[in-house]
Amino acid sequence: MDADKDNANPTIINPSDLPSRRRSAPTAKRPGIFDALAPAYPSLADPLSSPEASSDSASSDEEREEIDEQEVYDLISTISDPEHPLSLGSLGVVKLDDILILPPTSPRSRISTVRVLITPTTSACSLTTVIGLGVKVRLVNALPPRFRVDVRIKEGTSRTADEVNKQLGDKERVAAAMENKSLVNVVNTMLATCE
Amino acid sequence: MGHYNILKSVQEDEEMSDIELYLFEVDKNKDEAQRIAAQSVSRLEAKTLKLIDLITSLEPYINDKDDGSIRAKTVTYLADVLSSLPARVLSGQERRLLCDFILGRIEGDAEGIGASARALTALEGMGKWDVATIQNVMRTFIENTHPLRQYKLQTERYALVQLIDLLLAKYRDALRQLHESDHEFMPGFISYFEGEKDPRNLMIIFSLLQVPMTEWDIHANAQDLFDSVFNYFPITFKPPPDDPYGITAQDLKDRLRDCIAANSDFAPYAFPQLLDKLDSTSMNTKRDVLHTIQACVVGYEAKTINLYSVTLWDALKFEILNVQEEDLAVESLKALGLIAAKFAESAEGPLNAYLRPIIKECNEHLEDAPTKQSEAAGRILHALASSAPAVADKIAKGILPVLFSLYNGSQSITKRRGLLEALNEIVAAYVKLDEVRPDLNVEALQAFASDALEAMIRALLHAPRAEVSFRLASLKGLSQLVSIRKALSEKETERAVDAITNIVLHEQIEGHGNIRAQAIEALTGVAHSVPLVVRDRSVPAFMVELPDEPSDVSAQAPVLEAFAYLSTERQVFDTVVLRLKNKYGSARHQEAPKTYQRSLLLALLYAFTFGAPMQEDGITRSTYYTEYAEPLLTDIASSGQGELEHSTLDVIGRIVNVLFRPQGAHFQSTVYNKNLQWLSSAVKDKAEAVSLAPFTLQYYAAIRPEVVDAEDLVSVLKAQSHLARQTTSDPGAIGTVLRHISLLVNKFVNPKTMQATLEASNIEVGALLSGTPAPQAIGAAFAVVKGLLIQGKSGALATRYLQALLELLASEGKDVGRHFATLLAPDDILSKENHCLVSGLYKQKIFNQAVPFMIEAVRTADTSIKPNYLIALSGILRWLPYSVIEPSLQSLIAPLLQTLDLNEPGEQEVKASALIIFESLLMHDPTVVAEHTASLVTRLLNSTTGPANNASVRAKALQCLALAPRQLKREAVVPYRRQVVKKLQACLDDTKRSVRTEAVKCRTAWLGLDEGNDDDE
Repeated sequence: MDADKDNANPTIINPSDLPSRRRSAPTAKRPGIFDALAPAYPSLADPLSSPEASSDSASSDEEREEIDEQEVYDLISTISDPEHPLSLGSLGVVKLDDILILPPTSPRSRISTVRVLITPTTSACSLTTVIGLGVKVRLVNALPPRFRVDVRIKEGTSRTADEVNKQLGDKERVAAAMENKSLVNVVNTMLATCE
Repeated sequence: MGHYNILKSVQEDEEMSDIELYLFEVDKNKDEAQRIAAQSVSRLEAKTLKLIDLITSLEPYINDKDDGSIRAKTVTYLADVLSSLPARVLSGQERRLLCDFILGRIEGDAEGIGASARALTALEGMGKWDVATIQNVMRTFIENTHPLRQYKLQTERYALVQLIDLLLAKYRDALRQLHESDHEFMPGFISYFEGEKDPRNLMIIFSLLQVPMTEWDIHANAQDLFDSVFNYFPITFKPPPDDPYGITAQDLKDRLRDCIAANSDFAPYAFPQLLDKLDSTSMNTKRDVLHTIQACVVGYEAKTINLYSVTLWDALKFEILNVQEEDLAVESLKALGLIAAKFAESAEGPLNAYLRPIIKECNEHLEDAPTKQSEAAGRILHALASSAPAVADKIAKGILPVLFSLYNGSQSITKRRGLLEALNEIVAAYVKLDEVRPDLNVEALQAFASDALEAMIRALLHAPRAEVSFRLASLKGLSQLVSIRKALSEKETERAVDAITNIVLHEQIEGHGNIRAQAIEALTGVAHSVPLVVRDRSVPAFMVELPDEPSDVSAQAPVLEAFAYLSTERQVFDTVVLRLKNKYGSARHQEAPKTYQRSLLLALLYAFTFGAPMQEDGITRSTYYTEYAEPLLTDIASSGQGELEHSTLDVIGRIVNVLFRPQGAHFQSTVYNKNLQWLSSAVKDKAEAVSLAPFTLQYYAAIRPEVVDAEDLVSVLKAQSHLARQTTSDPGAIGTVLRHISLLVNKFVNPKTMQATLEASNIEVGALLSGTPAPQAIGAAFAVVKGLLIQGKSGALATRYLQALLELLASEGKDVGRHFATLLAPDDILSKENHCLVSGLYKQKIFNQAVPFMIEAVRTADTSIKPNYLIALSGILRWLPYSVIEPSLQSLIAPLLQTLDLNEPGEQEVKASALIIFESLLMHDPTVVAEHTASLVTRLLNSTTGPANNASVRAKALQCLALAPRQLKREAVVPYRRQVVKKLQACLDDTKRSVRTEAVKCRTAWLGLDEGNDDDE
């Protein structure tokens, strides 16, 4: 069975080495182990000041958390590889460093661009197009419409990069691909592991 | 024909025999037939009927030429009679004659064969059989009733199988002799049961076959015997619903497995066929195969397993190297370990032969580490090495030299990490063995322990911090090595402990690369194996980092937390708390910052709450109270008012509480009376009472009800009620006072004199709420009612008071509505540990008393006061388990939907709790909301956007909305798909990340609705 795969035994990145928001961004307030010792309950005297309400106060609610590269990474790293039961993140197919958010090109435009570079597990990987398609579909569905999604193969990592890039960049060819039932099924299976 | 004959005889003959009556009734009235048989039994007992006469009376029927069923029923009668006949009624000779009579019939007539077997079983019960009888019975059945499957009735076959089972269970020798003297017996015996399908019979057959399988020499018949049971493999039986016999597939599997594993002679047939079935596509079959292989390895002789060990390895390894299902891998590993354990007990040759190819292959996989295969190799080595010390020794000798030469030969951190992980697997096996096998020889490990230690310490201290998995592997390795006795020298152990301590204390990395939490965990684990080293080296190092008077308090917090966490290991608990106490003493003496003092107290509280203090008779030792709580009390007593802050007094109160409350009434009484004087004089002053409130609350919470006498109680309650009605105090202090009132009402007041006590203390609820009550009075009323409701002993009074509170909703504002949330809100003071009365049904009761009233009020109330009821309702529902709400869902939906329309900033909590209920509803009872789909979807959508909804409401609304397409019928939700998917685009751009995450999930769920269906429509 393994012989059919392009790369039967790829290197797997240990989950604790994958980038995540918790690890990359130091949080302002670290929860301590003593916090639970003196819990605050809704006070009998002042039921309005329940602890849940205060931790979620109106001012912090207004503060905007921008969509950043890590957020895009989190959206696509959990996509399953079509031939290994592993995520694209753990196979290193998508990497945080290969995601770039480009601001609008002119002050009048609202359109930002998300560029994702894909690294196939081998340079001869025949499923590169499908993986690219999966990433593209996921981002188009999960990002607000003010983002243009640009998915490409990372330079020098695939022998068929130019051909694949042309396909992924062509709106009509993507649309046509998504009318192919068996292809849709493959993509859906890949995306099934995304939350 | 037969019936006609009987009827005729009934008419002719007044005096009918029992058999005639029996035959007359048996088809129509089973009970009557049984009664007739019982009558024969008593007549035989009373000697009014002779056995010979009874047999003679059977004559015409048992030999009826035309009607087999009459013959069968007659034998049944005989069996019924014999089954209830007491042992001593028949003489030995009579029994022998009966036995011969029945066996004689079987040779000529198989009618009523089940009854014949039952009759014989009954006869055997009256007295043991001799060898000749036993062999005769067995032979007669096997020769004349072969094969069993010719009898269509399960009950008949069952009786036969039971008789044979009885013989095999009781007369092993006689039957073994039969087998040994007659080579023709076994083939007939084996094929006798062929084709049986009923699970009840099979349970017995699998069991009885184990006698020849395990005890007889069946070498010549091994294949047939094996095939006769293996034909049933794998068991695919599914018991029918409401199966009265309660036989499960597992029961059958267990017995079948025992058969297959019963005799080493089966091995040539068992292993090839089992391994063949291991290629099955059915996971269940594979599971059965693996369990059976394990049983065979345990059951067969070592010399037999030796013939198949390498074949088994070659087959089983695939389940581990290419995991299909995790449990199959685990079972395969277990089987490999069992094989090794088998050889470890016997000769060395087979063990070497088995391990050689395994070690070779694992070494090859390690060369490519880290891969799936190298990881699997680690698991395999772990499973084998854990099986026995001798195996661990050989694995270590075979693997470690290669592993370390690969390690030293590579500079790649990734590779080294993979190798360390494999090493850890082997070392972990040693850790396991070290705990249970005193004969463990660690020499082979010792030879490389220094290399391992160096590699791990270097990795931990010098590898780039971002290499988290590499450093974690090293950390794990170090703590494992330390925990194996004699693996490391004393010096080496100290270096390992120092390295771990060093990370806990000195590594300050924010975000990725921070492994402090794991290091703390490791240090605590190490404290269990080498407490002295931790005490002598780590604890002083911690103390250096915790000065008496720190300049920067926040820097100390992580160190203090780690130190407190060490207390979860009993071996170092006393050291930790003593150091903390002394540290607090110095900090207080030198007037260190208040927050630092409080942190030290919190660390103590953590230790006593979550740590492992010494116990006596299952409770924390009272000496901890004397040594740790008492000095704190003395300190409070001698301090000036306001010297200790509220938050500090709260923590002191909690320390006192946790140490004091488990102590017995006698101990408590002594302490209580000692403190009574200073405490009651201190709280006489109002300001002092308010400032001590956080402490007194915790103190009273710890006391057993019988310790406080009634008069003291009224004065305490009076004082608290007075404080509660003050308008000047800050809300926090009042909140504490109100909790104190709930506590006193719940725990100390005698339910019989409740109302009088409340009146005497000025907190009778009727009085509190009369006229236009002040907010403070309303608060006090809720506190009293809370204490009563949870107690559940003053039912009528509590109901009346609750009603009074509900009536307030019609006149007072939303604030009263909000108060309702406090009634059921969790409160760690009102707990059984604090000796409070907590009724098991109080939530249910409050629901029954308040919710129907509120639902009705929402329906009829004026729009201006309707929100009061909605808010109060949600305040009650928020804390109820779903099971309490479930029966009333239908009537709750309308008010809950209206709750989602509340849009004021103060009502977010209320909305959130309604959404949580909708979430459970969609999860558990989607049919209830089905008819409200339109209004629910609209309201949920409206709740997904700001600014009328805060982030947690928006996120929760999206979670609910995501459930709709999964939980409701497709045709009910499809009409909203376009609208929802479009509207959710805006949520993908929400200001909050957590909301966006939910929006993505929700939108995915709705987008998934059209899969494959657009084309069809």
